[in-house]
Amino acid sequence: MGRELTFADAKIIEIVNKNFVPVAMDDWFQRRRQDAEGDFFRKVADQGPRKGSGGGTRQGIYAFTADGKLLQYRNSQDPEVMRAFLLSALKSWGSLSQADRNAAKVAIPELKKIDPRYVPILTKDTLIVNVHARILEKENDFFCHGTCKFPGGQRASHDHMWIRESEWQALLPKDPKVGQEIAIPENLVYRLARFHLIDNTRGEPPMWARNEVRKASLKLFVSDITKEEVRLKLTGAILLATDADEKNAKRGYDASMLGEICYEPSKRKIIKFNAIVMGEHWGEGTYTGGSRPGRAPFGIAFELADPAKPADRVPPQAIREFAGYFEASK
Amino acid sequence: MRLDITLCLGLTFGLAYSQASEPIKPEQFNKLHAIIKPNPDEEKFMQIPWMIDLWEARKKAASEDRPILLWEMDGHPLGCV
Repeated sequence: MGRELTFADAKIIEIVNKNFVPVAMDDWFQRRRQDAEGDFFRKVADQGPRKGSGGGTRQGIYAFTADGKLLQYRNSQDPEVMRAFLLSALKSWGSLSQADRNAAKVAIPELKKIDPRYVPILTKDTLIVNVHARILEKENDFFCHGTCKFPGGQRASHDHMWIRESEWQALLPKDPKVGQEIAIPENLVYRLARFHLIDNTRGEPPMWARNEVRKASLKLFVSDITKEEVRLKLTGAILLATDADEKNAKRGYDASMLGEICYEPSKRKIIKFNAIVMGEHWGEGTYTGGSRPGRAPFGIAFELADPAKPADRVPPQAIREFAGYFEASK
Repeated sequence: MRLDITLCLGLTFGLAYSQASEPIKPEQFNKLHAIIKPNPDEEKFMQIPWMIDLWEARKKAASEDRPILLWEMDGHPLGCV
């Protein structure tokens, strides 16, 4: 979250947009993949201080040429430091010899093969749902943004839920009738509960184990039908807790769900996926310290993504284990 | 323990349950949805046209004669965190 603040700086945005080709990557995948892209990334990173010894992280901010010559490396959240870093990197770029500049214009070959273990594949028919979580507080019988000591912890988080074609097709009845109930695939319920009802507002969160899903009573039914669209209403209650007795659970989320899914019956195309999960969250994980004390209001909003936007195609955090993500009920 | 249905969860999702959290009021849905989602002020970092494919970024940088800026984090910078 802190680095979001860095790249929110107006001067930094201007410098980056004017001078660089910006790319954002997940180090967990990049440092592991055994293919030409993984080799290239490690070649760049190994010129800096983070050589990933013992398989460790290489995270940070790198400036380099297209052929892999490192110009600068920093790992800082301070906008002032980052402004200086960018200007220094541009100075290094401007100081390259003509031979190095020519080398940087090298024709990049196509990637012949990728390491399937560390490159999540987004298929064309996968439905992407954006997921945003936020800490909240009660205010005048309603809610407002929460406050948190952790830098940036009050901001909404970003993640994406991937729903396979067979799963979202199963949500759309072929001959809908108002009031008709639709069975939600079990894997989808568990995927939602285990991997998307998480507190990722302060960093990489722990996911829920299957047996920590203490309750997931979701109901989907047809609420309205017109020629243009069929509306489905989603309601439910969810209890996630690290102990079977929630009073003893160090971490938990007790919440309700409400949402609406709309689709065009003629094209069987989902045109709306709006939902909220709202309740009380408590506890924290190894990398999400600084949570608020006790139980506190916590909301999660879902909406259809736009696959044309690169940021909306970023894989779900929990997909690091592909099979575990898609077969969440096992 | 509030819930006894835990053990049955893997078999069915339609069981009766007791609920501690209040159901979300439909009339509050839009307002709540808007409060939770990021507001434009929180999305300034998205004013940078981040690519999400390093190999494609190399091609672009080579063809445009520009350096690459890589934002590399454990957890995708545009994703979970």
